[in-house]
Amino acid sequence: MAFVEIDGLVKRYGSLSIFEGFDLHMENADRLVLIGPSGCGKSTLLRCMMGLEDIAGGTIRLGGDDYIQGATDGRMTLDRRVQKEVGMVFQHYTLFPHLSVLGNLCLAPVRSRGVKKSEARDKAMGLLERFGLAERANFYPSQLSGGQKQRVAIARALMLDPKLMLFDEVTSALDPELVVEVENTMMELAEGGMPMMIVTHDMHFARSIATKVVFQERGKVIEAAAPDDLFGNPQQERTRDFLRNVLHIEG
Amino acid sequence: MNYEFDWFYVKKGFPQLIEGLWLTLELTLWANVIGLVLGFLVAIGMLSKIKAIVWPLTAYIEFFRCTPALIQLVWFFFCIPILFNVWWSAEFMGILALGLNLAAFNAEAYRAAIQAIPHAHTDASTALGLNVFQRIIHVILPQALILSLPVLITNGIGIFQQSALVALISVEDLMYQGRYISTQTFRPIETLTTVALIYFAVSFPVSQAVTLIERRTKRLLAN
Amino acid sequence: MDFDFSFLAEYSGVLWRGLLTTLQFVGIAVVLGLVWGFVLSLGRTSSNKGLYWLATLYVEFFRGTPVLVQLFWIFFCLPLFLGVELSGFISAVIALSLYSGAITSESFRAALKSIDASQFDACIALGLPQGVQTVFVILPQAMLRAIPNLLSNVVSLFKESALVSAVGMADLMYVGQNIANNVARPIEILTAIALIYFAIGFPLTRAVSLVEGRLLKVVKA
Ligand SMILES: Nc1ncnc2c1ncn2[C@@H]1O[C@H](COP(=O)(O)OP(=O)(O)O)[C@@H](O)[C@H]1O
Ligand SMILES: [Mg+2]
Repeated sequence: MAFVEIDGLVKRYGSLSIFEGFDLHMENADRLVLIGPSGCGKSTLLRCMMGLEDIAGGTIRLGGDDYIQGATDGRMTLDRRVQKEVGMVFQHYTLFPHLSVLGNLCLAPVRSRGVKKSEARDKAMGLLERFGLAERANFYPSQLSGGQKQRVAIARALMLDPKLMLFDEVTSALDPELVVEVENTMMELAEGGMPMMIVTHDMHFARSIATKVVFQERGKVIEAAAPDDLFGNPQQERTRDFLRNVLHIEG
Repeated sequence: MNYEFDWFYVKKGFPQLIEGLWLTLELTLWANVIGLVLGFLVAIGMLSKIKAIVWPLTAYIEFFRCTPALIQLVWFFFCIPILFNVWWSAEFMGILALGLNLAAFNAEAYRAAIQAIPHAHTDASTALGLNVFQRIIHVILPQALILSLPVLITNGIGIFQQSALVALISVEDLMYQGRYISTQTFRPIETLTTVALIYFAVSFPVSQAVTLIERRTKRLLAN
Repeated sequence: MDFDFSFLAEYSGVLWRGLLTTLQFVGIAVVLGLVWGFVLSLGRTSSNKGLYWLATLYVEFFRGTPVLVQLFWIFFCLPLFLGVELSGFISAVIALSLYSGAITSESFRAALKSIDASQFDACIALGLPQGVQTVFVILPQAMLRAIPNLLSNVVSLFKESALVSAVGMADLMYVGQNIANNVARPIEILTAIALIYFAIGFPLTRAVSLVEGRLLKVVKA
């Protein structure tokens, strides 16, 4: 039994079919990086796992528990207890602009998990300290740089002690010089043993953080392997094409 | 509520209401002609770097935007004849006041639109060897019109509604006729409701059209 | 032609009372309009079809007809409908507030619509219950975003309030026209009235753009 099991996932946007029976498994110790051409459904996959999208079929399991089950009539079932064990960080920060950094971090624990305010606050300060953001605790999102915003977003997700973190192109909206600070934060999490699923266009980062890389195209897994194998010795023609293109563009 | 409706007088007076509506539409049309043309000229003037041009125009815009249309109308009606020794009809005064009011609001709409035109276009037209006037007519005006169209129409239909004020200076528009019939017949509910419905029947489709146009222009600009 | 503004001093007391009346109308209409507008905006965003159409029809009607017509309708028709006497003051307050509610609800609705869908995604990703999402995330942002529009509604109401003079309320406009008739000096008095309106309307309008600029920066995160 794998830590994450996605079996027979079916996802459609109206008449546009994204997945027709998609399977993917991930072990507890894995950091899985999803790569693939734009529009192939990487974000959709993460959104399905987070319970943000209705799925038409298949099951998603975490630690052996079914928590999302698709149904053909569109009425999927979602176990909110398990869903709460997954954290997600988005491309465009999605911090709450009317709350301070501390407010952003404490909102969910205090308002939906019944954590005491002072406890949440201490925990938040601890996380901010760790990320070098302690002196920004009372700033508002509009007063932060893109890199800082994204690291606050990561801290916000960590406040809920997730068992799995999802990252959807979290550095794509950042200026190049700010990318590193966010990637370093993610590296630090990785070293702490956090299971992650990461979508990124940065192949160097993918190679350094991943334990397993999945190349996905047109709703199917084309190839999945350890980073050195997939980047160094891709087995599939389509993987080679894709890598040639992106690495060529990256120069 | 035990009021008994009686639509007899509304039916009888309906031609009179329609006559009033025509006058209302006429006022609206002319006010819009003034508003669209003068508004653009003012907006162009506001682009100038000469203080002696910008200041009076700013004062004009702000004054008309920040005071009630009613005081503007009444001011024109009572003061213009004394100041300039002219005796224009109340209709004409109405058109003038409404037109100047609209021009001030439209100038703002044009200005915002002109600011939104990418600089590259102005550079491109300079490179093409267009002179200032050609540039204004062929490059700035068409784009400003497209960009500001939703606001211009919204302002235009706003003036249609504001035009009801002219009834207060005895111009026999829709509002005036409605008031007249309702006091003559002691049937305010039937008459004024009809008047309201007529105003609504004209402005509602236009405001719906604006929503549509807004969606279109947004898509046009997205490209 | 010679102007004589000196006689205005004599009327300053009356003008002052007129201005206060104007501000009183605006103040009441703004407050009642906020409450009524909020209720209407709930109707306009409701999933209940009946409520939605009722609220929509109301808002479109009040935005699609001249305020003067609304005012006359309330003044002349509502008492007949209800079978009770309504003072001119009450009629004018009702009319302005009903209109105020219509434009206010539009401001609330636009603010609500302008909140990015990703904010809702973030709430789900954090496992926030519906109630928490509404009260702590969506509502505060909607309020913030609505502020510039709400302020500019105040300016609109301030200007529209001059209409109450048409049903005999002794507001600034009414007082001014009365004096103008009495002393046969329309230019001086009407100009003075216009300037008084401007002295309040202009800073208010400026405040709107200032606040708008500030808020846009905050909300865009
Ligand atoms: N809400 C939506 N409605 C309709 N189509 C969508 C929606 N979201 C994504 N899509 C489509 O689904 C496909 C996959 O999108 P996405 O998962 O965002 O791709 P990726 O993240 O791999 O670039 C794309 O063709 C996209 O246009
Ligand atoms: Mg994506």
